[in-house]
Amino acid sequence: MFGFISWLEATGFSTTLRNATWVWPTCESIHFLGLTMLIGAAGFFDLRLMGFMRRVPIAAAKAFMPYGIAGFALNLMTGTLFFMMRPSMYAFSAAWWAKVFFIVLAGMNAMLFETTLGARVLTLGPGEDTPTSFKVVGCVSLFSWFAVLYFGRMLPYIGTGN
Amino acid sequence: MLQWLQDSTFCMWVVGSDSIWAYPTILTLHTAGLAIIVGAAFVIDLRMLGVGAEVPLPQIRTVFRFFWAGFIINLASGVILFAVDAVHKARQPVFFVKLAFIAAAIVVTARIRRRGFTPGNATPRPAIRPLAIASLSLWAAAIVAGRLMAYL
Repeated sequence: MFGFISWLEATGFSTTLRNATWVWPTCESIHFLGLTMLIGAAGFFDLRLMGFMRRVPIAAAKAFMPYGIAGFALNLMTGTLFFMMRPSMYAFSAAWWAKVFFIVLAGMNAMLFETTLGARVLTLGPGEDTPTSFKVVGCVSLFSWFAVLYFGRMLPYIGTGN
Repeated sequence: MLQWLQDSTFCMWVVGSDSIWAYPTILTLHTAGLAIIVGAAFVIDLRMLGVGAEVPLPQIRTVFRFFWAGFIINLASGVILFAVDAVHKARQPVFFVKLAFIAAAIVVTARIRRRGFTPGNATPRPAIRPLAIASLSLWAAAIVAGRLMAYL
């Protein structure tokens, strides 16, 4: 892995972007906008899954999700650029790996919901409580996304090896 | 005065402490609060623009509770983040630009809360749409200005 990291850091792409002063702040701004879209839309749906706002038909609460996914896409793109610009900084950071872990956890959780539990969504009308399985999925999702935010913001402070 | 604030025992602890609970935690709280504030505003504004039309308006109104809870977190964490670096931030034009965007965004959000939820109406009036677009733009501008404070 060490070889790949140093190769990536030395590529013209990585070097050029790293040396362009405006690229990093621009990506950071987009990354912050994306996170509000993701946490806003996913948070709303997660809270409904957890049994809050029961008067909202659960299928309707999902209507905001495409915008949350758009936010995630923005952050995946800008996040990939961050990694390509400074691969060694991230690859050797414990906080970054924790962040990646929680992104994967949130993704697998959402995938599990969509493939196995999600079909029951449409049968739940307004005013109905959610089954325990939905509550667990909502809880794991909300916790994971805030953990992603936490370890992202803590990158300069946790597990840098200094 | 700003220098005195910055040199206070509390501020010295926040900046000087090696503890993860000092500056890093306050900074992270400010980011989590931002996600809650603008995330809530994002959902409310989308609903005003016609997304999620099946979500009843009174339930969307409860989202304002999260908005204000996030706002309190960020007001408190923001005051501390300013205090520890008061002399520098008071000279940063982009800091005042950020404050102006936040003030304008709050005014617009409060107006949406007053005008977007007329009792008995299942859909927001079309007149609310420009306010929703203004809200989304102002919050985005506040975020960008805040991020640029680290660079300008």
